[in-house]
Amino acid sequence: MRSLRLFARYRIYLLLAAVCAIMAASAPNFASAFNAGTILKSASAHLLPAAGLTFVLVVGQIDLSFGACMTLGGMLAIGLEPSLGWPGGIAVAVLAGLGIGLANGALVTVARVNSFIATLGTMIIVQAAAKIYCHGGTLAVHDFRLHHWLDGALLTVLCPRALICIGLALALAALLHWTTIGRGFLLVGANPSTAWFAGLRPDRYVAGAFVLCGALSALGGAIFAASACAANPTMGDNSLMLVIAAVIIGGTSMKGGRGSVAASMAAVFMLVALIDGLSCFGAGFEAQLIASGSVMAGVVLYDAFVARRHELRRGARPHLMRSG
Amino acid sequence: MTAEARAVRPALRMRLIPAARVVSVILLLAAAGRLISDRFLTIPNLLNTVQAVALLGIVAVGVLFVTYTGNYADLSVPSIMAFSGIVAVSALRFGIVASLAAGLCAGLAVGVVNGIAVGYARANPIIWTLASGSVVGGAIRWLYSGSQVYPDSQLPAGRIFLALYRASLFGAIPATLCVLALLAVAAHLIMTRAAYGREAKLTGAAYDVARMSGVNVKLIVALAFFASSFAASIGGILLTSLNKVGAAYIGGGYDFLAVTAVVLGGVSLAGGRGGVAGVLGGVLIIGVLRNLLMLLGTDTFVQDIVQGAVFILVVGISSLMLRRAGRDDA
Repeated sequence: MRSLRLFARYRIYLLLAAVCAIMAASAPNFASAFNAGTILKSASAHLLPAAGLTFVLVVGQIDLSFGACMTLGGMLAIGLEPSLGWPGGIAVAVLAGLGIGLANGALVTVARVNSFIATLGTMIIVQAAAKIYCHGGTLAVHDFRLHHWLDGALLTVLCPRALICIGLALALAALLHWTTIGRGFLLVGANPSTAWFAGLRPDRYVAGAFVLCGALSALGGAIFAASACAANPTMGDNSLMLVIAAVIIGGTSMKGGRGSVAASMAAVFMLVALIDGLSCFGAGFEAQLIASGSVMAGVVLYDAFVARRHELRRGARPHLMRSG
Repeated sequence: MTAEARAVRPALRMRLIPAARVVSVILLLAAAGRLISDRFLTIPNLLNTVQAVALLGIVAVGVLFVTYTGNYADLSVPSIMAFSGIVAVSALRFGIVASLAAGLCAGLAVGVVNGIAVGYARANPIIWTLASGSVVGGAIRWLYSGSQVYPDSQLPAGRIFLALYRASLFGAIPATLCVLALLAVAAHLIMTRAAYGREAKLTGAAYDVARMSGVNVKLIVALAFFASSFAASIGGILLTSLNKVGAAYIGGGYDFLAVTAVVLGGVSLAGGRGGVAGVLGGVLIIGVLRNLLMLLGTDTFVQDIVQGAVFILVVGISSLMLRRAGRDDA
């Protein structure tokens, strides 16, 4: 039983190790320093929104608008760079994401709209706004210095882009697990009334999670666009599915109160490594859809199975539970 | 009505708020339309308005079952639509009946799997349908190696297939509207007259209560996903007939549009509340709004923004009013 619990807790790291081991053994050119760098680079685009979404799920809500936030963030950073420079452009992008998060938070906490509906609405609006901003086309970068710096070699496989994203995500992991504020998010998600009696203000934590998710997604989009040297209107849509899959596979519960940013990060790396390995075999976009979909389906079925077993054992004697 | 029955029925204004919101929004939009353009209140324009959202209506009536039983939404709808459409096109050489049957079966197969996973295995509906939609979408691209298929207009079956969406009854009423009307009436009867409707209401509103009262909750939920895939398959075949091409991307956006219509129609995401009439009202709101903006000459992206804003406003205001009235749907 104890080993089962340990497995449930660390399954995502085992999955990550298994995917890497299998791919390294079978896929051509998978186990090379260059490919490791590629995986780190393409995973870094998803790390920040995944960390933000983990916070939103932890407080028991859902955010569908983060993909649109990424797109808008990337667009604003690139579009404003000629007039404001990179720092200004990225700052405006993050502020825009912050604003969208604030709007989501207000809709959910003040108007009490179900977060699935509220963020669906903001997703439609932000997507359209991003398309109007770029006139439906692709925005290209004029100043390549940031790209060269972001994707330049730092340590053999680690480029500054990956380092920034991993560092920021790790900081958020520390925030969630090792600080009083972070534990507050978990408490609010697990039981809002208990949190209220403990002196926390649940609404502030919920709104805070949405703001965090919006700002991080916009920053992630901006960094991705700056290093890809272009922003197109479908950028965030492609990330939406992968990031939701990663956070769920990482074991964050949609019911709230349970989740880990580090596990979400590991799940992002696992999915990206899986897709990268499949593309080493020559598979394309369809393999990416099938692979991430199947892993997500498998995990959600496993979770349902565990919940069902737990349900069956509820009320059973604890000493019997431990031995069985 | 006995005193007991009156006590069980919710206060009149609480029942009326969702209905009033649909009717008042439509009336408001219609009044605005009359002011904006003389062309708005003409029969051809109104018919256009309704036909433009007929497919959405068909899909939304299916999604209603999923939402009603407390499972939020079926996000695999776009993939089901694409799958049924592309399979129907590739089966055209065996005749039109075989083609339609194959398309329908393809879509229903996805619905059966969804129903088993969510109904029987109790997988999370949002995540599961997102995953199954992704797998089916990938499978279509893989099976057809990323290419599109076109209905062959040389075959008689191909000509019939292409005419499906464009056909009309008595030369005036579009056939798609008749399909929608048939589906809506059937769904309404199932919801209000059949045992399934009452059991689905209880399942959606209070799953455990339903289970302990002897309702076969697993079957009820599974059938809801089956109904959703049935409606989506019909919608997908008609959409393929409209676009004259079967492709993996067909149906994109219909998942969230259907949720928008269902929610605008006063169906609660908490489950067990709402009905077919409301959903048709929600679909009509989207249609009239699009038509108005088109008459005004706004571009598609601005239309999206306005639609999103109206959606949030309507749902926000009515959920605020419901809370004031003492009912919390959130």
